[in-house]
Amino acid sequence: MTGAALDAAARASGARIIAALAARYRDLDLAEDGFAEACARAAERWPGDGIPRAPAAWLYRTADRAVLDALRRRSRRERPAPVAPEPVDPGPTAEELMLDDALLIPDERLRLIFVCCHPAVAADARAALTLRLVCGLTVAEIARAFLLAEPTLTQRLVRAKRKIAEAGVPFEVPGPAAWPERLEAVLQTLEIAYAKAHEDAAGAGPHAGYGREMLDLTRVLAELLPDEPEVLALAALVRYAEARRPARLDATGAMVPLSEQDPTLWNRALIDAADAYLNQAAARPTHGRRRWQAALHATWCRRRNLDEPAPWPEILALYDDALRLGDDPVVRLNRAVALAEVAGPAAALAEVEGLDAERFRSFAPYHAVRADLLRRTGRLDEARSAYGAVLALDPAPAERLWLERRLASLGTV
Amino acid sequence: MLYALLIYEDETVYGPNKEGPAMDAIRPRHIALVRELGAKRIGGSGLKSVKLATTIRTDNGRQTVHDGPFAETKEQLGGFYLIDVADLDEALAIARRVPLTAHGAIEVRPVIPPPPGGYEAQ
Repeated sequence: MTGAALDAAARASGARIIAALAARYRDLDLAEDGFAEACARAAERWPGDGIPRAPAAWLYRTADRAVLDALRRRSRRERPAPVAPEPVDPGPTAEELMLDDALLIPDERLRLIFVCCHPAVAADARAALTLRLVCGLTVAEIARAFLLAEPTLTQRLVRAKRKIAEAGVPFEVPGPAAWPERLEAVLQTLEIAYAKAHEDAAGAGPHAGYGREMLDLTRVLAELLPDEPEVLALAALVRYAEARRPARLDATGAMVPLSEQDPTLWNRALIDAADAYLNQAAARPTHGRRRWQAALHATWCRRRNLDEPAPWPEILALYDDALRLGDDPVVRLNRAVALAEVAGPAAALAEVEGLDAERFRSFAPYHAVRADLLRRTGRLDEARSAYGAVLALDPAPAERLWLERRLASLGTV
Repeated sequence: MLYALLIYEDETVYGPNKEGPAMDAIRPRHIALVRELGAKRIGGSGLKSVKLATTIRTDNGRQTVHDGPFAETKEQLGGFYLIDVADLDEALAIARRVPLTAHGAIEVRPVIPPPPGGYEAQ
């Protein structure tokens, strides 16, 4: 009972507690360690003492004391204390962040995301740091999303945290003048966090709540910045993807691929809302890739039932457009899926084999696409090992079930 | 926190010896900024032309003296402010208002604080 309460409190308020501590002490490592310590103490005490009336406030106070203890230990160790960070006056924003349980509203999280996407942090670390800090993704998950080796990402995070601590980067909610230069990192953060929710069709994993939350966050963001086509496109994209959720699982709990989903199960109201955002975006000039991605989703969502042919030729044409804007290995990988339907699996396999396998080593969709193409071209042994590679990357349960069935359908040798 | 705001600019716009009309025009703007900063400004100054710079290089313990600045680039360190403010955002807000005549850049760098008790006490 207390374990579940602690999990819930930690998940709901962890991000803002860490952000509040980071604002106070200007040291993300200290903040994260302090929060971990508070959770450990809660796990010890709550079963005996009962769940506190305001669990988030309890966790904040305990974490704050843990940080102060750590600072005292540090200054004893390093006497005479050279530059032990002094607590900085957090100002009203940090106070708001930590004290009021009513602030668990979605745009509070959005504010934190803007706080973390400070332009003084290296551009290649901003979104990663925010995903770690606000969205609670693990370093391994973030590294996979950016197609980076874990040590590379860890290095970037360490550098970013050091800059925040030593250059005095404040953790304050920025005013509207500062939004545009933070926007790209904010959008990147949101789309990667959403991708984590989306890759789990059953919606049972640790990031499952992001799907619903992202509908709110993108709506708030589109209200804040109604003239930013990339914001509108992301709001559309999230709606198209969430609209299909009711059709993503079959009766046995296995995932259903997009082309086999029954469009009559899709949420038409969400699709209409997505269309409205996309039309709003289309009225504004942009060279961003999100509008193009939303157009891909829109093409799928125009399908009305399974008797209508799947829109593979249109999808392929959209991928061709995207490649004309700039080469991108992930786009080429996804284009291969459409190419297989239009030109046959052999042509698609040739494209996939031309990609840099090393770069995609921990990227599950790469192995899944390759496995499917190998299966359809009759290279069954290689297909088996490619399915093995996806399964080794620990897919969500619905995806695992579907992959295992595909693998089993190959028979044993 | 202490920050140095380092002013990089193409100094040729100020004319030979940095004494042209462009300098006359920008000087009051610096004076206004200094007044406005008040106690937040700990120090700082403009620097004379890089033509007057001399650099001592040390390589493997051997020192050599060179005429000219550390790096031969179009934009040169032309002056600096030393300020004491709450955080990087406040330093950046001040840096945005440091006047420039030409294209240029203001680099904002945190300053290593003095040892406890100051340098004299060591």
